Amino acid sequence: MIVSVWRYSHLLFAIISSIFLLIASITGVILAVEPISNKIEPYSVSGADELSLAETLENLNAKYEEILAISRDRNGFISVTAIVDGKNEAFYVNPFTGERLGALLQKKPLFQFATNLHRSLFLKSTGRFLIGLASFLLILITISGIVLIAKRQGGYRQFFAPVVRENFSQYNHVVYARFSLIPLLVLAITGVYLSLLRFDVIPDTQVALQVDFDSIQEEPFKEYTEFDLFKTTPLSELRELEYPFSEFVEDYYIIRLKNKEVYLNQVTGDVLAEEKYPTVQVMSSWATVLHTGEGSILWSIVLGLGSLAIPFLTVTGFIVYFKRPKTKIKNTYNKNEGTYVVLVGTEGGTTLQFAQEFHKQLLSIGKKSHLALMNQYTHFKKMEHLIVITATYGQGEAPASAEKFVHLVKKHPQKQAFNFSVVGFGSTAYPNFCQFAYETHEVLETSNNSTALQEVFTVNDQSFEAFNNWCATWSKKVGLNILLEKPKLATNSLPPSTFEVINKAEIPEDDTFLLSLKNLNDSKPISGDLLSVIPEEGARERLYSIGKLNAETLLISIRRHEQGLCSNYLHQLGQNEKLTATVVDNRNFHFPKNAKKTIFIATGTGIGPFLGMIEENSHKKEIHMYWGARTTNSFNLYKNYIDKALQDGKLTNFKNAYSRNQPEKIYVQHLIKQDKELFVEVLKKKGCIMICGSIAMQKEVLQELQQLCNEHLGKDLSHYQNRKQIKMDCY
Amino acid sequence: MKNSIIKTVGALGLASAFFLLSSFVKEPEVSYKCMIQMMNYTGEKAYVVVSLINPDGAYEKTLYVQGDDKEWFPDLKNWWEFSDGTKENVDAISGATIGNGERNIISLGFNAAHIDAGYKVRFESAVENQEYYAVDAEIPLNSATIKEKVDGKGYIRYIRMVPNR
Repeated sequence: MIVSVWRYSHLLFAIISSIFLLIASITGVILAVEPISNKIEPYSVSGADELSLAETLENLNAKYEEILAISRDRNGFISVTAIVDGKNEAFYVNPFTGERLGALLQKKPLFQFATNLHRSLFLKSTGRFLIGLASFLLILITISGIVLIAKRQGGYRQFFAPVVRENFSQYNHVVYARFSLIPLLVLAITGVYLSLLRFDVIPDTQVALQVDFDSIQEEPFKEYTEFDLFKTTPLSELRELEYPFSEFVEDYYIIRLKNKEVYLNQVTGDVLAEEKYPTVQVMSSWATVLHTGEGSILWSIVLGLGSLAIPFLTVTGFIVYFKRPKTKIKNTYNKNEGTYVVLVGTEGGTTLQFAQEFHKQLLSIGKKSHLALMNQYTHFKKMEHLIVITATYGQGEAPASAEKFVHLVKKHPQKQAFNFSVVGFGSTAYPNFCQFAYETHEVLETSNNSTALQEVFTVNDQSFEAFNNWCATWSKKVGLNILLEKPKLATNSLPPSTFEVINKAEIPEDDTFLLSLKNLNDSKPISGDLLSVIPEEGARERLYSIGKLNAETLLISIRRHEQGLCSNYLHQLGQNEKLTATVVDNRNFHFPKNAKKTIFIATGTGIGPFLGMIEENSHKKEIHMYWGARTTNSFNLYKNYIDKALQDGKLTNFKNAYSRNQPEKIYVQHLIKQDKELFVEVLKKKGCIMICGSIAMQKEVLQELQQLCNEHLGKDLSHYQNRKQIKMDCY
Repeated sequence: MKNSIIKTVGALGLASAFFLLSSFVKEPEVSYKCMIQMMNYTGEKAYVVVSLINPDGAYEKTLYVQGDDKEWFPDLKNWWEFSDGTKENVDAISGATIGNGERNIISLGFNAAHIDAGYKVRFESAVENQEYYAVDAEIPLNSATIKEKVDGKGYIRYIRMVPNR
């Protein structure tokens, strides 16, 4: 539905060819081993390539009674075919001594089987055709893939920039695709070439040398060791040398070198005929080498890994496709009936789910809401409220379903007055966070009869919490009461568990309290995971970051809101009372295992998960903590924990910023400026900065960090965000 | 009457005893160098089998198999019918397939008794998905004419044989 042409064709080609490509790639991986196992056979003789043909022939003729041919394969192994005791024998030799080194490599049954399956699926010509076609589709898949990556990355120049991680399949699909692009393209193109060659679409021109038998000379006689060609041609140039069939002068040496074929008079050494290989044949030879990796261990490995990427890319590709939410737009009211118009700009479909939920709730309270894509902007005759919910694609571009929006707004000025608000969905890990939303706001602002109801509201990482906040302020302004339900996105929540309250510490004048909970079930949260609490049936869930003090004790830090349903519910829980809640995996906010130095930045109750992480820092890694609150008093709730951690060496440093302790306000972001050397060093040395607390604080902190990056690191902040060096959990 | 039976049985016995013994006595071998020159046909590499044909026109022995993948052996229908039932070790006398325009030089060994005794050397050939030639070329095992070049009718352009040095 909302997929671009490139994505659609990428998928379509993949579906058509997947089975054949899977077979070809798996057998291809097996076949990649063959040239390697051949190449490592001990038949290479050092220095052999520098021998001249004259020396080689002399050495070998001395040892064998009748040689039929000498050849050099792509591995550089020299072999002879000779008649020994009246029988044909072919074997590898040492060209210096003529010593027999071993029998010719036989194709192992596994490789023979894999080759047949790889080439023709055991279906003879039909199979060869199918495989050829699949190769061709692979070229198209690769090309459309390149375009898709470039679009996602925001242009070809950013092609190899870090990929934003949305989920395992999406991330690794892009990352591995980039790595395997070149081998895959080479395999596909040469595969098609070899197929075309096989079906004679590319003519397999042969050298056809003509010998003028009438002019063959029988004298002057020369020893073959004196033949110019034999003397001047090194063995490295040789492909094959066939001895004259008989001693008659009409029979001649046939010499195939790397670039030409020569017939040589066996008596006089005259060149009877000579021809360079035609381009097609040279190309075919290259195509074979490039496709099979024959003679090169390194290239074989590259090809093998490229082949291996196909099953991986197929599987992750299909997972990405099937995981993508597929929602269809259904409308009760058409575009001329809706007083509320909800427009969506989405690439993958996630944003649509949020918009759909909002639209549904509007309908449920009896409002005439019309839902459409941004590209469907037109005259909406009864529109009073326009709500645009849009994602941003790549480097701040419009998503596929909104490409024409700006143009359409200009083309269709509305005749009646309306107000609008824009919600941008995106990830702060992209340099141009929600840029298209801002553009949308701008173009609507300049359009006829429009009034902006509020500034652009941005939602990071599909946060339902944030979207809900927007919805609350919006509905307040419009005078509605809307309660959104969380769309069923792929979250990793466990079944609900029961917890027992073992302690409650409180600072009443600060409205904050700490709950220590004992886990009665066996769900095993990690510090940074979330506890989802639903205070009463039908109420909306609230999420609290978990700090894990030990195997049994969890800590959550809560700010009590006067009218807060959930915070008051938690507050009234007494000692030993039970609480049912769900642990939600929050993988992106776990303590980094590999970072040597970590910085925690928190305000207020955001300190909660960090208390757990510090407690678990038994290896005493360097941790610097920056904490902001209103007054010194606020700290009393956590003082014991922090003091003990500093004493035990689990926390290196603790710095606070109390905004109300002195006349001028000090916030955590001011501390960053003070300690910029530490921050720069941590980012440089692959350390991690974790931020927990309010969205407003996050914004300020990120701004400060961005400035540090620009001034001292020469890289955009998003570079570090992509490397998971900056982890955030703000609300 | 009885005598003649005894004589016949005796003669048969002797003959068979001689025949049995003869398999232990090494017959003198004659070896020829043979060149198989292929045509410029299009398609896959050709499978060629060289067989010794007895005076009755039947397969006697497989002399050489040009082909490295047994999967395609049944394509050489007549020979496969004969060879599939025998205990011949084809691996010992086989070599690589060769493509169009190429040539292959091999050595063929014969029992001296087979020379000038009505035996023939038959070359039959097949190419994947293409026509099969039951008799692509055939050369009488005749010491006077064996050195003459014989043209093939299928994928083989010609065959040449010379006695080995």
